[in-house]
Amino acid sequence: MSSVRKDFLHIGLFGLVYMILALLVGNSYYLLIMTIVPVWAVMGLSWNLFSGYSGLVSFGHAAFFGLGAYLVALCMVVWDLNPWLTIMLATAVGGLSALLVGIPTFRLRGHYFALAMLAYPLALLYIFEWLGYQEVALPMKREMPVLYMQFENPVAYIALALALLLAALGITSILSHSRFGMSLLAIKLDEDAAEAAGINTLYWKLIAITISGALAGAAGGFYAVVLLVVTPLAVFGMLVSAQALIFAMFGGVGTLWGPVLGAFILVPLSELLYARYAADFPGIQGVIYGVAIIAVILFAPEGILWKVRSILKPGQFRMLGSTASITDLEADESLLAVSQSGAGEKILEVAGVSKAFGGLQATDQLSFAVKSGELLGIIGPNGAGKTTLFNLLNGFIKPDKGEITFQGQSLMKKRPNKICAMGIARTFQVAKPFTHLSVLDNVVIGAYVHTRSKEEASRHASAAIKLVGLENQCDLPGANLTNKELRLMELARALASLPKLILVDEILAGLDPDAMQEMLLVLEKVRKLGITIVIIEHSMQAMVKLVDRFIVLDHGALLAEGRPEEIVKNPQVIEAYLGKKWLEND
Amino acid sequence: MDALQYLENFLQSLVAGLLMGAMYGLMCVGLTIIFGVMRVINFAQGEFMMLGMYFAYFCFAWFGTYAFFGGLWFPFFLALLAGPAVFLVGVLLHRLLINAVTGRRGNKLEAQGHYAQLVLTLGVALVLQNGGLFLFGSSPVSVANELSYSAWEWGPVVGDRVSVFVNQAQTISALLALVVVIGFAMLMNKSRLGKSLRASADNPDAAIYMGINVDRAHRLAFGFGVGITAIGGGLLASNAPFQPYIGTEYVIIMYAGVVLGGLGSIRGAFLGGLSIGVLQQVSAIILPNQLQNTVIFICFLIIILFRPQGFFGNKDRTA
Amino acid sequence: MTKPVLLQLDNICAGYGEIDVLQDISIKLLEGELISVVGPNGAGKTTLFKTISGIVTPSSGQIHFRENDLLGVEASRRAHLGLAHVPEGRQVFPSLTILENLEMGAFAEKGRAEFKENLEKIISWFPVLGERREQLAGTLSGGEQQMLAIGRGLAASPDILMLDEPSMGLAPAIVDEIFERLIEIHRTSELSVILVEQRVAEALHFANRAYVLEAGKIILSGKPEELQNDDRIRQAYLGM
Repeated sequence: MSSVRKDFLHIGLFGLVYMILALLVGNSYYLLIMTIVPVWAVMGLSWNLFSGYSGLVSFGHAAFFGLGAYLVALCMVVWDLNPWLTIMLATAVGGLSALLVGIPTFRLRGHYFALAMLAYPLALLYIFEWLGYQEVALPMKREMPVLYMQFENPVAYIALALALLLAALGITSILSHSRFGMSLLAIKLDEDAAEAAGINTLYWKLIAITISGALAGAAGGFYAVVLLVVTPLAVFGMLVSAQALIFAMFGGVGTLWGPVLGAFILVPLSELLYARYAADFPGIQGVIYGVAIIAVILFAPEGILWKVRSILKPGQFRMLGSTASITDLEADESLLAVSQSGAGEKILEVAGVSKAFGGLQATDQLSFAVKSGELLGIIGPNGAGKTTLFNLLNGFIKPDKGEITFQGQSLMKKRPNKICAMGIARTFQVAKPFTHLSVLDNVVIGAYVHTRSKEEASRHASAAIKLVGLENQCDLPGANLTNKELRLMELARALASLPKLILVDEILAGLDPDAMQEMLLVLEKVRKLGITIVIIEHSMQAMVKLVDRFIVLDHGALLAEGRPEEIVKNPQVIEAYLGKKWLEND
Repeated sequence: MDALQYLENFLQSLVAGLLMGAMYGLMCVGLTIIFGVMRVINFAQGEFMMLGMYFAYFCFAWFGTYAFFGGLWFPFFLALLAGPAVFLVGVLLHRLLINAVTGRRGNKLEAQGHYAQLVLTLGVALVLQNGGLFLFGSSPVSVANELSYSAWEWGPVVGDRVSVFVNQAQTISALLALVVVIGFAMLMNKSRLGKSLRASADNPDAAIYMGINVDRAHRLAFGFGVGITAIGGGLLASNAPFQPYIGTEYVIIMYAGVVLGGLGSIRGAFLGGLSIGVLQQVSAIILPNQLQNTVIFICFLIIILFRPQGFFGNKDRTA
Repeated sequence: MTKPVLLQLDNICAGYGEIDVLQDISIKLLEGELISVVGPNGAGKTTLFKTISGIVTPSSGQIHFRENDLLGVEASRRAHLGLAHVPEGRQVFPSLTILENLEMGAFAEKGRAEFKENLEKIISWFPVLGERREQLAGTLSGGEQQMLAIGRGLAASPDILMLDEPSMGLAPAIVDEIFERLIEIHRTSELSVILVEQRVAEALHFANRAYVLEAGKIILSGKPEELQNDDRIRQAYLGM
């Protein structure tokens, strides 16, 4: 049974049990709580769908919630529009406003992003106060109660809230098991590596925040119907955004059921305590939420679902993602092959490229070309500008001067994911595995560049894994690999994107001689597929026998260029490497 | 209204903005020192300001009548005293909570760990403001005295009509704020302690190699940061009524100032806070009262989106 | 005459996360010695220094500094015992002036007590630091920053100076100058030094003894003259 179908079964069962419970409860206050809880669970899921999966923390979900709530309330007051229609509208407005918020705000990362998100709902709060909507009450519609969602039986509200929650759960389940979920997880685990692996990080973040905003808008709209009164503080206030975040983080970040669990524990707890102690302790709800989130951060930073799991299955590493298994071990390595037709022609050309960081000239007027099908070694001592060169080639940084072209196309204005899609893949000096994904999922992410189909991606990934010889490790999490395996996995991830040119950054560093030999054999196999390889190395050992040609960098400039046997005898090169004293001694 | 009246309004707002801005600037300095040294975004900064306000309020209520300085000056003295008091709260809180998720420990937390400190301070903010509701009550209070309602007349500046009224309490508060900022900047720039805090900010690992206890440096920075903001709160307390939820709107004002000035710079933070004060007061001439803060938030968004390094950031002199 | 042992690492295994970068490392530094640790990138040289400084906690093994069990001492206290770490890539405090950087070098008690004399000595070795003492360290060139980093280490009046790749990213002429100074300092002050270097020739030339680190293991150790003629070194770097 597929994971999604299993989720749907659970979701269905959950809905059934909840409905039966609702029918058994008689107390109208409890019934109200049973209506509110799913609404907040939807908010938790909304936050989770964006922040939980992408790792970008939003403190501004109240903006989408509040717009939804005011839309439903005002449409009913002003135009007599019914909530059935306007909640749908609120969903659309929530999504649209989230998209509009996302477009500028995704320029920011980390702390700046979180801070900027905080400002949107607060700005809206004051605008709605100024507009005179301090308190919008929904009018009573006695003649057509059902049309205006004003039911006599409180269970009807619960049914609607539950329907909303089940829909949110279904959407989360489907998305999290798709390419969407994988892409967002990759962004969360390492945004740079994700971008370099061909994931259009901006695109996926925008999709995520739009769907997330839509859910929040729907929740806000329904909230207005249930509570019948909308005030700026109640819907745009800090507490709304905080609650969404707290439910998801308390229950379990990046999980289907975590936000639901969080809302189901914390909302009744705070409501019941509030009902009992509000007179003596008016802020008790906020204190409970505050204490809950502090406790979670200190004792179970990923939420109680993950904590429970780690207690039940100690020692087991926490895995995210689809954890698919290799579908096609017969996958043919030739899937990865590149046509040899243009062999020997210029594939990549670097012309007069300079890049400075502060006072440091990392790359200085560098010009060279790479021929299709060759294996080019770029060597030089530490600090010679080798990794900067790769960052320039794959688009992480843009040169101050100069021009880079790949197969006749300029790379100057292209984002890393686009460059990856054009056929330049890379590995990193300090390996960037997606730690909580399996080796297979790590590689599958690379394979999504050229295909939308999960099966095809999985086939390419399998072929790449087979080529580097990690078949037996493919279910291990990225975090549990040895140095050698990590580097092989990065190579596989790069290969899975079907590159024409692959940039390999110090893949031999820190390997013992046996592992080095193994790595060289793998590189030899890659070369046989017709893939052009540019490899950075600190030391020339082993490389001498492997490469067709060397480029030697020193202080960001070209020191020497030529065949391996010439380079090792070049006095300038020896001096740069071993020092002047070495030459004196000889 | 004629042109002269506009001019008078403008000058009046400008002066009020500079005075308020000096207090905002002080609070921004507190916030920026925490970010500068610890790379921690403290969401609860507004609540520490609130604590400073209530400290001044309760001390005044309890001891005001016996006050040695007399009722006029006592509130300002209490505002300064709020600094050390809240400093202690901050140091304690850092030891108990914040330290667990910042610095090297924070880096070890996986995935969400990056945000752990952000969310933790959000929790602290919720507990403080709602706990404040319980401890301090929800009705607005203030530490206003005669000075709060008295003004010096400055002018006539132009012709015989345009004169500016300078609120006395605000003026004293603004001057005190300036003194505290200068004193603190000197502490950071001249003392060995200040230098070690800046070194810890620049490069925590290298600071450890020098023998600096970076955890302690963080604890002190957190204490200084919340203490300074509390002084700002104490000074504001003699200005306008407040309630326990006041922190939320001020936290954005503070962040606006800090981001405007460039995160981490003392001078930038003060100038940023000053600018926000002026912006807030001057915008009130043309905009309705409720939109004052919206202007600040929108300004904040524009700055953070298009110039996140700020305007007054003095890259070489960060703290 | 045998000199007393100043620093001794026994069977150290250390790394990040679950995988050990260093495997079973044993190293000894005698009073007044200059020893070199050479090896290619990724061999674990910087991890070795971080382990001695306490930034990385070893999974097994022991470190003794004189009679102290160093592993029982918190990282920030180790400088107070007399260890000065000049880290890889210089890592000066960019927003502090040169003078302030040197003051921070003298943060521990001993350095503070002797700051005046040390400052004079440092300036005589690296005059540029004296000329620009009010300049912010972040605005210095790479070579000047390296001199400052070394000066900052010396300001502590340390018993051991740990130098991590002082030649990294610097032009050959500057590297020569820095090495010349280092040797002068080592000889005149009889300072004990551990030098981690990728420039094998210099590292061996100046050292009393040397270790060759490869893939986290010590594969060779001994007198420089012996190592210099060992083909494995030439091969490790040039592959010939």
